[in-house]
Amino acid sequence: MHERLSYYVKRDSALHRLNPLTKIILALSIVLVSIVSPWYWTAHILLLLVIVPLSFAGRVSREYFTSAIRLILPAAGFIFLMQAFFQPIGNTVIFKYLFLDVTQESLSFAFRISTRIAVMISAFTLFLLTTHPSELMSDLTRRGLPPQFAYVIISTLQILPQMQAKAQTIIAAQRSRGLDTESTFFKRAGSVVPLVGPLVFGSLVEVEERAIAIEARGFTSKSIKTSLHEIPDSLSDKIIRWVLILLVLLSIALKIWLS
Amino acid sequence: MKIEIRDLRFTYPTGLEALQGVSLVVEPGEQVAIVGQNGAGKTTLVRHFNGLLQAAAGSVLIGEWDPKKYSVAKLASRVGYVFQNPDEQLFSKDVGTEVKFGPRNLGYAKEKIDELVQRALSLTELSDKTETNPYDLSPTWRKMVALASVIAMDTPIVIFDEPTTGQDALNVARIAHVIAELRREGKTVITITHDIDFCAENFERVIAMSKGRILLDGPAREILGQEHILAQTYVDPPQLTRLGKKLGLKETVRNQVEFLEIYKNHRNK
Repeated sequence: MHERLSYYVKRDSALHRLNPLTKIILALSIVLVSIVSPWYWTAHILLLLVIVPLSFAGRVSREYFTSAIRLILPAAGFIFLMQAFFQPIGNTVIFKYLFLDVTQESLSFAFRISTRIAVMISAFTLFLLTTHPSELMSDLTRRGLPPQFAYVIISTLQILPQMQAKAQTIIAAQRSRGLDTESTFFKRAGSVVPLVGPLVFGSLVEVEERAIAIEARGFTSKSIKTSLHEIPDSLSDKIIRWVLILLVLLSIALKIWLS
Repeated sequence: MKIEIRDLRFTYPTGLEALQGVSLVVEPGEQVAIVGQNGAGKTTLVRHFNGLLQAAAGSVLIGEWDPKKYSVAKLASRVGYVFQNPDEQLFSKDVGTEVKFGPRNLGYAKEKIDELVQRALSLTELSDKTETNPYDLSPTWRKMVALASVIAMDTPIVIFDEPTTGQDALNVARIAHVIAELRREGKTVITITHDIDFCAENFERVIAMSKGRILLDGPAREILGQEHILAQTYVDPPQLTRLGKKLGLKETVRNQVEFLEIYKNHRNK
């Protein structure tokens, strides 16, 4: 019944099994390479020959293409139009609309920028699709991220669906007591207090209980904690990470060398 | 007020078939307990009575009303529903105002509201706490406030969802007293419960549900004796009933009084 807040799709694949840090570095290096690379076609190659195959390797291609249509295409399309119309570069005018010139240069610039945007969103969509948020956080905490920070992120993801469910129950309870939530505006406006009151009280109580519960399990304890849930970090993870970092450095070097 | 359910089916958007053809008639003034494991469909069933859920197939009649044709707010004049967790409905700054909320929504005259509120408060032993903020009361008393706020609506049908969960013995006795009073007034009471002793001591009719169907429906004495069928829905008969069986008593006993009487006869033979 709960609405999904994280994008994570639970499946078993090579991409899912990678260490979360490896996947962050993978996403970041795809983005960096696409921006830094001196060649025009790098972003397109990355999109077609890296991201799309990765989505198949991660067995999330269907989810990836859905989000590509819903999110990536509109975002990249918007950027493309803005850049094509408002970028004041080039002299080869292709067509005029009112005072706006669309030139060959601005078109190619727009194409380049919007592909980069698509690559950026795609890389992180893939990352989110294959990484469970709590797995990411426990891995990062183990590597030295303050646990308070991880708690804020994770609890937000968990509390919102819970609050939604709670709000549904409160609405049901008050309607059962004859509260009119459906008819005229004035009647509905009057029904705010009976609905919001229990939600706010309840949430405050819950926050306190959560705080006590995690403290009872030694949340602020300074000693080194072990975790029941072991997150694998294999040799191949380490190799992949170093290769990716090298690739990023290489493309930065190329950029400097060629310019 | 009569409740008539015919072949009721309901499926949640998640695809869970919570009710798979439930038929049921509850006569006016009957006291019914519904038992069964979690997910058996108990709450889903009673939420059809006041229109919180609407039948996917089959029919529901509350008196002559079809809940599909009335808003929940309207149905609230016929069916009172006490939710499990009082904290999900209490919002007023004092107990008196909280209890008044329901009857005021139903549009009763001022004198009638005052009378109903007084009666509900005295029935739930809250008369000396009318000025208190509900959140200053202990959870057991908050439960009584929730009970009072629904009883004050004076509906012919009252539903309790797990009234005794998390309550101490004293408060369970208070809730039993409230239910007995409602019976005396001729109201229909339907209670969802996991507390089988409470069920045996206070209800004449018991319905056992499992996996969206009614498994058993009949007089408590008959139902509570059917250990093997009840086991299918993870309900154990009350301790005294089981003890009676172990001792080889011929009749099914439900409470101390019955047990002592039947046991005496059994020994004298």
